[in-house]
Amino acid sequence: MAIKTRNFNEARQQASTNIELIWWVFMRVSGVLLVFLVLGHIYMNNIMISNTSIDYDYVASRFSQPLIKVYDLVMLALAMLHGTNGLRYVIDDYVHHAGWRSFIKFVLYFLVALLIATGTMLLFSFPFNKVGG
Amino acid sequence: MYRGREGQWAFYLHRITGVAILLYLLVHVGELTAAMFGAKYSNAILEFFHQPLFQLGLLGVIGAVLYHALNGLRILIMDFTSWGTRVQQQLWYGVLVLFALLYIPTMIKILPEIFGGGGH
Repeated sequence: MAIKTRNFNEARQQASTNIELIWWVFMRVSGVLLVFLVLGHIYMNNIMISNTSIDYDYVASRFSQPLIKVYDLVMLALAMLHGTNGLRYVIDDYVHHAGWRSFIKFVLYFLVALLIATGTMLLFSFPFNKVGG
Repeated sequence: MYRGREGQWAFYLHRITGVAILLYLLVHVGELTAAMFGAKYSNAILEFFHQPLFQLGLLGVIGAVLYHALNGLRILIMDFTSWGTRVQQQLWYGVLVLFALLYIPTMIKILPEIFGGGGH
C-alpha cells in the first residue's frame, strides 16, 4: 500500500514494509533533484534555443559531451523511477481488479526497463564514427 | 461529483500532470533513440515532431512539469516542516502565482516560434 501521510514520522508508522518507506523517501529525494535537473534541461533546450531548430547534429553534439552524458543519465534514471513509482500509486488507487492491476504494472515495468536500457545505450553510443551519415 | 477544497485540486492536478509527464517521457526517450540509427532517421522523426500540434503539446508538457515541480516543493514543505500543513492553502496559491510568473514569459517566448516558423 502506498503511504498517505504528511511527514516522515507518520510515514514510518504507516509503512506496510521497509521497501514502501524507502520509496516514500526516494520520491522526495529524487523529486527535489529533478526540479533542478528537468527545469535546467527545459531551459537549455527550449528557452536558450528554439526547440524547432533541434536536429541530429545538435543531439549528437550534446550527447558527445561527458558532462551532458552524466547529467542526462542521472535525469533519465531518476525521472523514470520517480514517474513509474508515481504511476504505481495511481494504478493501486484506481484499478481494483487484481488481474488487470498486475498486468498493467507488468507492461509498465517492462516498458520502463526497456527505455532506461535503450536510453543509456543511446547516451554512450556517441560520438559516432560517422555511421550512416 | 465531489468537489474538494484547494488541497483536493492540488492533489488531482499533481496526479494528472505526473501521468502526462511520464507518458511524454516514454515517447521522448523513444524519439531520441532514433539517433542511434543515424542522421537520416533521426532528422525525419525530429522533423515530424516539429509540427505545430506537437509543439503545442510540448508547451503543455512544459507547463505540466512546472506545476508538478512547484507543487512538489509544496509537498516537501508540508512533509518536513511543522507549519507546512497549516498553511497548505496559502502555499498552493503561492504555487499558482509562481507558475503564472514563470509560464507566461515561457509562452510569450515559445508561441511565436511555433506559428511564426522562427526556428529554422
